[in-house]
Amino acid sequence: MGSRSEDKIEDITKKISQSLQGLSIEISTKEEIVTVNVKPENLVEVAKKLKDMGFDHVKSVTAIDFPEQKELEVIYHVSSLGDLDLAKVIVTLKTRVTSDDPRIPSLVEIWPSSKYPEREEHEMLGLVFEGHPELERLLLPEDYEGPPPLRKEFKVRTEGIQG
Amino acid sequence: MMNLMSLFRWILDLLFSPWLFVPLIFPGLVTVFLVILFIIWFERKLAAKVQLRYGPLYVLKQLGGAIQLVADLLRYLFAEPIIPAETDKLAFVLGPILLFGASCFPTVAIPVSSSFYAIRSDISLLVALGLLAFGPAITLIIGWASNNKFSLIGGLREGYITMAYEIPLFISALSMAALYGTMDLIEMVESQVGWKWGLLLNPLAAITFLILALMSTSRFPFEIVEAESEIVMGPFTEYSGILYGLTMGASYVKFYVLCLLFSIMFLGGWKPVPSFLSWDPIGPALVLLLKSLILMVLGVFMRAVYPRYRIDQALKIGWHMILPLSIGSVFLSLGLILLGVVP
Amino acid sequence: MSEERTMELLIGPQHPSSGHMRLYAEVDGDIVVRLKPNIGYVHRTVEKLAETKKYIQIIPLVERPSLADAANHNLGYVLALEKLLGIEAPPRAQYLRTILAEMNRIHSHFYGLGIHGIMLGSSTIFMWGFADREIMIEMAQRLTGARLTYSYIIPGGVRRDLPQGFEEEMEKALRYIERRLKDYGKLFLRNPVTRARLEGVGVLRKEDAIKLGIVGPNLRASGVPYDVRKVQPYCAYPELEFDVAVREEGDSMARVLVRVEEIRQSMRIIRQALKQIPDGPILSENYLKMIPPKWKEFMETKGRVKFPAIMANLRPPKGEAISRVEAARGELVYYIISDGTTSPYRFRMVTPSFRNVVLFEHLIRECRVADIPAIYGSMDYFPPEADR
Repeated sequence: MGSRSEDKIEDITKKISQSLQGLSIEISTKEEIVTVNVKPENLVEVAKKLKDMGFDHVKSVTAIDFPEQKELEVIYHVSSLGDLDLAKVIVTLKTRVTSDDPRIPSLVEIWPSSKYPEREEHEMLGLVFEGHPELERLLLPEDYEGPPPLRKEFKVRTEGIQG
Repeated sequence: MMNLMSLFRWILDLLFSPWLFVPLIFPGLVTVFLVILFIIWFERKLAAKVQLRYGPLYVLKQLGGAIQLVADLLRYLFAEPIIPAETDKLAFVLGPILLFGASCFPTVAIPVSSSFYAIRSDISLLVALGLLAFGPAITLIIGWASNNKFSLIGGLREGYITMAYEIPLFISALSMAALYGTMDLIEMVESQVGWKWGLLLNPLAAITFLILALMSTSRFPFEIVEAESEIVMGPFTEYSGILYGLTMGASYVKFYVLCLLFSIMFLGGWKPVPSFLSWDPIGPALVLLLKSLILMVLGVFMRAVYPRYRIDQALKIGWHMILPLSIGSVFLSLGLILLGVVP
Repeated sequence: MSEERTMELLIGPQHPSSGHMRLYAEVDGDIVVRLKPNIGYVHRTVEKLAETKKYIQIIPLVERPSLADAANHNLGYVLALEKLLGIEAPPRAQYLRTILAEMNRIHSHFYGLGIHGIMLGSSTIFMWGFADREIMIEMAQRLTGARLTYSYIIPGGVRRDLPQGFEEEMEKALRYIERRLKDYGKLFLRNPVTRARLEGVGVLRKEDAIKLGIVGPNLRASGVPYDVRKVQPYCAYPELEFDVAVREEGDSMARVLVRVEEIRQSMRIIRQALKQIPDGPILSENYLKMIPPKWKEFMETKGRVKFPAIMANLRPPKGEAISRVEAARGELVYYIISDGTTSPYRFRMVTPSFRNVVLFEHLIRECRVADIPAIYGSMDYFPPEADR
């Protein structure tokens, strides 16, 4: 039973590698997670190809701040709800932008489920998603002034005993 | 000494004269207050029994918290009635007072026994029902004067639901009037001889009258005007202190009046008077009060059972279901008259 | 003079049935034209705080957003952490984790039913739902020692073993809940007023549910049989038998019925798990060998874990891990990136309520004002969980 599902996952990763040939920098697999590294210019095309394969929703959008390299890494975790075989696989779509001019095309047209996560990463890390219909504050208070909180330059002030 | 006794006797005679007794003591103001004190406590206790909890318990622990409402009333009396700055102050303050008064008003036309009444007229049923129609107009004024969108929506809902229940209510009552051949409440009771109570003669009118009484006084499942989870408190959102206490009591008073009318029309009124209590007017008054209280308990128990309807569903029920039933009850009355059941 | 047809209604945080959020409703008479949710009133910055705390300290941090469902949040985080550390919990611990997770599922569904009842106007269901939730809180107290936020699941196993007499008490509790569910059916689910309020209201179609990425009972009520416990089983689920509750209609009544059916399935799982639970240690061998023998004897007799000193300074190797569990309200995803120090480099937590926020705009349109609480309650949306 286990080997059958592993075979299925191998088939799926082979299909992904084949259809994304040339568009991605690197594809790697670990158990059920397929990691696809792309350049920001190819992001929309890769997303469309993944959607045609049956991956129909975004689980989360994560952005990470790397201050030494002055880069922000944006990660989309994509999977399937309608197809229960594809649902075992999570495709991790990674791309990098510079932190001085963090613009990246928004994937809301392709995956409407990324609307709110993209908004959250916009306010938490300062990413600008071009083409997003409603890029406003979501969780932070309206009168918050200061750097985007999840960047490493924003230090959490602690009082009393250090954690 | 003699002067004191005759003074005392004069006051007693004055108090028990019909035109002072009926509006003031029974079924007037004093009884209204006592009924509110009892029925709200009983409602909370009944609902608590269903909901696996105690309800009011600590105020007078031996009696199970029976005077909880006295404590609540004292709290309302001493709480500060806050009047927001942007409201229409005259309408805001007068609204609840007029609402409570208008709900108490119809008790004037209700007789206590065949020979004990404040006014006698041969259309006293219409007088009582017509005086009840003041309430919704005042609620609309309150909803506008509060300067709050939720109050506005609540007031408008009160206007809408009046459309649903007013007409069938009158039709049901008039079908009973047709059955007895009179609109005089005293003669209605006189016609219900022996076992011939209105409930058994025309059950259709009884059922529709009861459901419409629930609809007109915001009892569950028709608690639409003050739907707390949608429009905070409806038209009474901005009220605090004694003004809020008055608005809370007003709907119970209206229900009490409707239950009195139901007892007179369908349950034989103050008959049969047991022989040991036949001291006019206490005996008949107690019988009438007992019947009304039983009905109120029935209506108030709905809180524990039903959620609330939407406004358009209540309107649909009023027009599609209850109106045909009321018209049917008119035909039932006419049929009974033709058969000669009631002379 | 312009004529404005619509009125803007702010169902704000100070409203009896709005929860900790604000809903901007544009209302035309009694019809809601548009509804925009405004969340973030209880944002507690869990993700940023996790970057300053040690790995074992994040466990209470992660449990707090969702009160009724703390064990599932705890479980998800610990599963991700165990992937990073490369260890696995022993079978007995897996079964104990499953039992606690299912108890929390029952707890959360009763909570949701109660809140939905009071939004519809039935205070009876509110009182009953919260009273029956107390049963599960008491059983959790017997098992873990705490009533609400247990911090029971630790990397490598669980903190306590089953106490004496737990199986009999749990059987009594489950029988009581079965009797109560019959009462719920009579009073609430088949009540004509409830059916008039909930049937056909807020219909979510299957394609829209998949497109918008909805999770949990909301998804299963629209005909999509997606349940993480079946798609990617974890803990003891591969060995347990249960059905996934699915309905086709997609309206509010279907969502409520799916939740009630899930309570029944959870009871089935708990019964099976208590029968099949294997004997053995409750903490992984990697950590058991670090505990001095005197404390080991204490652990055998009392059934409680004494933490080895390494837990205060866990340093997982560099890497990243992603884990998903089926919390009571839907699928919960954790993504941890570790850089070899005692705190994570990036901590991402996507809760099911956050993924369901889009339903506010999508479902509550062209319906009546009185449908707002009916649909809101049927979604089982919990604002602190969405805001983290």
